[in-house]
Amino acid sequence: MMLAVFLMMPLRTTAAAAEAKPLIFDDAGLLSAQEYEELSALAREYGAERETDFIIITTDNPDNVDIEILIEDFYDAYAPGYDRPHGNAVILGLDMRNRDVELQGYYKAEEYLDRNRLDKIRRKITGDLSDGEYKKAFEAYIISAHEYMGYEPGFNPDNPLFNIWVQLGGAVLIGGLAVGLMTYRAGGRVTVNRRTYEDASTSGIIDQEDRYIRTTTTRREIPKNDGGSSGGGVTSGGHSHSSSRGKF
Amino acid sequence: MPVIEYKCPYCGSGMSFDAATGTLSCPGCGNQEHIDQLPDPMKQQVFTEGEVKEYHCGSCGAVIMTDAETSATSCSYCGSAVVLADRLTGELAPAMVIPFSISKEEAIKAFRKWCRNGLLTPRGFMNANRIKSLTGMYVPFWLYELHNRVEVHGHATKVRTYTQGDYEYTETQHYEIYRKMRLNYTKLPLDASAKMDDELMDKLEPFPYEQLKEFKTPYLAGYLAEKYSYNDQELLPRAKEKVRSYIDAAISSAVAGYTTVNYTNKQIDTTMKKADYVLLPVWMVHYDYNKTVYTFAMNGQTGKVVGRPPLSKAKIAAWFAGISGVSFLSLKLIAWMMGGGFW
Repeated sequence: MMLAVFLMMPLRTTAAAAEAKPLIFDDAGLLSAQEYEELSALAREYGAERETDFIIITTDNPDNVDIEILIEDFYDAYAPGYDRPHGNAVILGLDMRNRDVELQGYYKAEEYLDRNRLDKIRRKITGDLSDGEYKKAFEAYIISAHEYMGYEPGFNPDNPLFNIWVQLGGAVLIGGLAVGLMTYRAGGRVTVNRRTYEDASTSGIIDQEDRYIRTTTTRREIPKNDGGSSGGGVTSGGHSHSSSRGKF
Repeated sequence: MPVIEYKCPYCGSGMSFDAATGTLSCPGCGNQEHIDQLPDPMKQQVFTEGEVKEYHCGSCGAVIMTDAETSATSCSYCGSAVVLADRLTGELAPAMVIPFSISKEEAIKAFRKWCRNGLLTPRGFMNANRIKSLTGMYVPFWLYELHNRVEVHGHATKVRTYTQGDYEYTETQHYEIYRKMRLNYTKLPLDASAKMDDELMDKLEPFPYEQLKEFKTPYLAGYLAEKYSYNDQELLPRAKEKVRSYIDAAISSAVAGYTTVNYTNKQIDTTMKKADYVLLPVWMVHYDYNKTVYTFAMNGQTGKVVGRPPLSKAKIAAWFAGISGVSFLSLKLIAWMMGGGFW
């Protein structure tokens, strides 16, 4: 039954992308033809660089299937993958009926887009999804997935150290401080401190008191996570994947 | 005649202080006299201050041209070392002196070495071949003994944060603090010469006080010496200002362990126990570079050189570019090792 749903989906897209395999399966009809073309081109270009299919599926979910199962079954049935069938792929699934969003990464994408990175991508796009800005959200998804796959697995891709401007700024700051210190010290520096002239035998604390008065405590609510969950799973076809899921 | 000269008892040449041996030595016959064993001629002479307006060289009779502050110099005609005794007696008598241990040749060598080590100085300056003058000078200093009674009241906090359940708690413990301290500073040096740049003299410290000797005029033979322009009372405010930073640092170290400390009341009661008038050895170097004269001072005991050298813009730019470039590559490398991709 699930198979039937997804065999129908590609129908809408075959004509548009005759020269290449389709990457966007807009069953819920969220995109105009022009938006569809632009996103497909973007996904194809960026996917090639990471040797991974960036896939988007949307559905009105008439059979009310859980979004996780839905994407897993899609992967088993449609067998996407940049390098081979059932290969490297990252899939963004939107269930318009239950307003669920889930991201799954397979093979290379499972390694490079682990649950944490998928969480980051999902958080970035949830706002736009809620606002109905689907084109913008999908674009952000493709760009972030592409960017994050450029970092070795296991590291925080948003580490400021990876930012070229932070690196440049840090380097200029270090150079400026070093040269400033050299300039300052060129004229000779003071090499005496408070102990140089202190008569240690007669100097010291004569009397001291540290009186405790009171304790004040303030508390701040820790921003909760958005109720999403992340982890991974295995499709019924036996393909393992990473995942991140939430509402929008 | 309040001019003291040192004539070699054997050959009659003018003697001067030799930094290497610490004796009064004769350039003519090599005779060396131990200063400790010499009777100080000043002790036998009594002068009335302001009695003499003009000094005459005992060797050649020429008028000795000096500034009003100079107390030791050499005759500009015959080169004999002369000490102007009336500027070193009575209230103007130094209690102690640290003699030079670095001779003129060593001073030149040390200065050249210092010039070569300048990382930002222009190439032409580093040759150090334009030393215009090198003068050994005993600079008048006051060594203060200041006793301070310090009482501080303040408000301090210790901050601790922890999480419990869905909340992050910030716990601030408030304390009233009180410290009563005795801080005694001895031999705090302040230069008493109006001619000398205070900042330069401060950077020359520390002087090795174990070399302090009872003052005897032969130490001055062959060097320039000045008498003080400010007395101990006039310099006291500067002395208090100088210890103020030491006191503040001592207070801070006495209230360690708090996150924040605000002082509501700081009382510092300073009494001057004594101030000794001493002469400390300084080599003054005047250096010609690019039509400008630069002044440097060298500690006559430790050889420490201070003074602002010319800076080469090209060298500053090169260092800046070099350090920034290396830092940038290092940051890149760190990012790369952390999995960030090199480019």
